[in-house]
Order: sequence, then structure tokens, then C-alpha cells
Amino acid sequence: MKDRSRLVGYAWALVAVGAATLAGLGMQPRFDVVNIAMVYLLAVVVIALRYTRGPAIATAVLAVAAFDYLFVPPRGTFTVEDVQYLLTFAIMLAVALIISRLVESVRRQAAKQASLAIEAETERIRSALLASISHDLRTPLAVMAGASSSLAESGERLDPAERRALATSVFRQARDLSEHVAKVLQMTRLETGAIRIDRDWASVGEIVESVLARLAERLASHRVIVELPDDLPLVRVDATLVEQALGNLLENCAKHTSADTVVRVRAQPRASDIVVTVEDYAGGVSDCEFERLFAKFHHGTVEGAGGGVGLGLAICRAIVRLHGGQAWAERVPGGGTAFRFTLPLEAAPTIPPETVAD
Amino acid sequence: MSDARSTVLVVEDEPEIRRFLRAALGVEGYRVVESATGRRGCIDAGTHKPDLAIVDLALPDLDGVEVIRRIRAWSPMPIIVLSARIQERSKIDALDAGADDYVTKPFAVGELLARVRAALRHAVRPASGGLVLHFGDAIVDLEQRRASRTGHEVHLTPVEFRLLATLAKHAGMVVTHRQLLTEVWGPAHASDTHYLRIYMKQLRDKLERDPVRPAHLMTETGIGYRLVPTA
Repeated sequence: MKDRSRLVGYAWALVAVGAATLAGLGMQPRFDVVNIAMVYLLAVVVIALRYTRGPAIATAVLAVAAFDYLFVPPRGTFTVEDVQYLLTFAIMLAVALIISRLVESVRRQAAKQASLAIEAETERIRSALLASISHDLRTPLAVMAGASSSLAESGERLDPAERRALATSVFRQARDLSEHVAKVLQMTRLETGAIRIDRDWASVGEIVESVLARLAERLASHRVIVELPDDLPLVRVDATLVEQALGNLLENCAKHTSADTVVRVRAQPRASDIVVTVEDYAGGVSDCEFERLFAKFHHGTVEGAGGGVGLGLAICRAIVRLHGGQAWAERVPGGGTAFRFTLPLEAAPTIPPETVAD
Repeated sequence: MSDARSTVLVVEDEPEIRRFLRAALGVEGYRVVESATGRRGCIDAGTHKPDLAIVDLALPDLDGVEVIRRIRAWSPMPIIVLSARIQERSKIDALDAGADDYVTKPFAVGELLARVRAALRHAVRPASGGLVLHFGDAIVDLEQRRASRTGHEVHLTPVEFRLLATLAKHAGMVVTHRQLLTEVWGPAHASDTHYLRIYMKQLRDKLERDPVRPAHLMTETGIGYRLVPTA
């Protein structure tokens, strides 16, 4: 790869000298030889600016040779009669060296700037991550410590219903906390590229089914409608990851819309992909929010409940992108929000027909 | 409680996790044997002859999958695996190595107990017992190769029957893609997952009340399938 780009530099060196030579031959009848030298100098400058030192020096040497052979008397030989042309040659070489050094140092500066910018971004993500963790972990930890210590210290004096309520809240908070930690880890792994996607043929119907089974308790008070065409093609994806992506969208609905909200899960095949949609008819997201929703640590202003919305959606988007799809949100007629993502389609796999003799 | 005094071996290195497992299993009437290491677990499995083993996958001395292999080498006892969320791969390895089911940490005790009950029930009344399956509106006679739903005859192809029979052999428990493909289509097709996607859809379309949201022929995303019989 690197060798190739270096070769390209040398090739352009030849091209530049060739072009300068043609221009020089055209100019020759009417212009002074010194001006032709300027054209060669231009070629040297251009190559030195665009490529590394090697091609720049090559251009200078070639330019000197061509200029000497074709234009410096006696023409048609490499002999130099007038000593002043030696100065021209030296200047050409010096220009090549000086410019390529300048360009190199500018390039180094730019690379340094870029790596500083990446560092700053990493730092920003890290602090947002810490803020998010401390916010989303503190409350459940406080609830767990409080409820469990009540149980441990005065469990016998509490009535059974209260005891059960406290114990249940410890369980729920612990479960949510564990899921949040899993999401933070997942986002980190997605960001650092530590996730390997394990593609296999999967059915979007089955993914929908298993997400709904996993989230059954949390979506119990919502009205979930599933619309899947019967002939939905199979997709080659990492089903576990896509399950997470879809799960995050549905969890979002569970968290941020009120009970009895209608949630519609749909999948529509198109020419080269399948669009998976989770729609709710709760209204509430303003137009400018749509893109921000997917930001890493954005906390939805929607009804102010829950938290960590952004993390779920950012993970969804990262997973979908890993698969070569897109994820976005948009308003739907009737005052709801649609979260959509696409999964690319591949040529359908073949399956041997079943013989009756089997 | 019909499983009363069944012995359950718990191979888990975390004492706090052993503590609540001991409490929960004890309340249900099981006798609990605890092993804090994989090697100890393999020995205890031989000396205590438990009816079921619960094995943590992340043990300090021996890989949980290896513990399962060693127990499986001589015993058909049901094995349930405890795995962390990030151990997706080793969970599948454990199931392929002979574990019967899994629970992902953190789990609700009720979930684990349900798996324990299903596994013990299965161990008491293995494969040959359940030749006629009842689930939801469907009745499938695996021996006569006849199936019906809401009283109407349903035609199942030979492959569909074989797939259903394989799931039924492990009723209530998860069966991995690899296990199903190997048993139904043969070892050469062990990674042709799309066969399963297509045939499971056909089975659901024919036997489930709502094929889109099945109640019995369940998907375990990334792992396999589970036939949940009517309780």
C-alpha cells in the first residue's frame, strides 16, 4: 500500500517533467531559455508540494537532465558550456529539498493536531461516561442499600406485603443496574471496535419474538402490535446483536411512554434491505430532538423519566452500522415517533427440497 | 413436592452466590452439595451422586466447560450452567458439551428453579416417555407421525417430524443450533442455520396459535430453540 503510493509519486514526477518539457518545446521559439528553466522549476515545486522528498528530488534531477539535454547549448548533449547553468541546476535541487521539508513538517503538524482532537474527544466521552454512570448508578444503589438494610435490620417487624415490596424493589433495581452496566460496557466495546460480529442466517420474525419474550414484563402494560409479512426474507446478521438493537428501541418505548400506549413493531422488505420499525403513538419528541436522541449520553427530555435513553439508542445505531445499515427516528402521522433501522439483504440461501422417501 | 430430597450439586466459587442458591434450593426441599472449585465439583459429582448439577462457567481452577465434559463422560445427570452475559460463546460451548440448560447472571431465583424442575422432570421421564406431545392447541404423536391442531389434522413433513422429535427429547430445555442440525440433517450440515430458520417457521405456522408470537416453539436468539410444553 505504502510502496504503491510512493510509486505514484515517482510516476507523477515523470509526468510533471514530461509536461514541463512539452511546454518548454512550445515556448522555445519565442521565450528565453531562463523562462523555460522557470517552467521546470514549477514542476519541481508542484511535485514537492504534493509528494514526499523522493519524488521531489527525482523531479529536480529529471528536470535538470531534460533541461540540459534539450535546451542548454550545446543542445542534444549533457555538456554544459556556460557555468551559470550549474547554478540553475543547484537552485532547482535546493527548491525541491526546501519545499519537501516544509511540506513534511506541515503534514506532521496536521497529524499531531488530529491526534490531539481524537484525544480530546476520547476525554469528553470518558467524562460523559463517568457522569452517566454516577447518575444512573447512584439512585438504584441508594434504593438497594436502603431497602435491603431495612429488611436485614427490621424484617420481622415489617408486615409481609411490605417485606415483599422491599425485596422486589431490590431485585428490580439490581436488574436494571446490571442492564445499565452491561450497556455501558457494550457501548465501550462497540466504540473501541472490540466487538466481532458473528454473522449467520437469522429470521427477523424470530428476533422480534425473542425480544418481546425477554421484555414481556416491562411491556406488559403497553399494547404491542406485531406486523410482519409472511414472506420476510432471512438476513445474514449477528442475531444476538440485532436482538439488542431492537430490544433497546422497545425498552425505550416501555420507559418513556405511558401505560396503554400502542407500540407497533414492523418489518418491511425493500429492494436491498429490510426496514425494521418500532412506532409508538405517544407523541412528544420535537423535530430537533430526533438526531440528538441517538447521541451517546443524551438523556431524553421526553417526560423526564428513566434516563440513559441515549445509550440504548447509540448502541442500537452502532450495532446497525456494524451491519451496514442505518438507524434513525422520525415523526409519524398521528403524533407518534418511529424508530427505524435497516438490515441489508443478501442473496437468499438455498435449501434442498425434501424428498418423500426421507 | 415431587422432586423432594433430590440432591443438587452446586459448583460455584463465589460464596455469596452459593449462599442464596443454598437458601433458595433448600426452601424447595432439595439437598444441596456445594463445591467451590471445578476439580472439587468433579469429585463431588462422583461421590455424592447428585440428581442434577448447577455449574458456574467462570471457575478459578478449571473451565466450566471442562467440568461439564468430565461429568458428561460418565453421567447423564442434568446440568444447568450459570453464565455471565459476556460469556455468550462459552455458554454455547457448554451446551454443545452436554449441558442441558443455562441461566444468565444476574438471574431471578424463580427462573433458575423453573429450569431445575424442568431438567429433573426430564431426567425422571426421558425421551421415550413423551411420544405424544401436547402443547397449546396442538397434539403431535411422534410414533404414529400424526399431528393435529384444534382437532384438525395437520400434515407435517418427515423433516418437520424429526425436528419436533429432537426438540421434544429435550422438552423444556434449550437445544443448540448445532445439536438440532446434527441430529436432523447430519453432521455435514452442522452450520446450515438457515435450514432451522425455515423449518421452525413452517412448524410454527402449522402448530402455533399465533405463529408470530409463539408460546411453545421458542427461539433462544444466538443459541437455539426450546420446546415449552403445556404445563
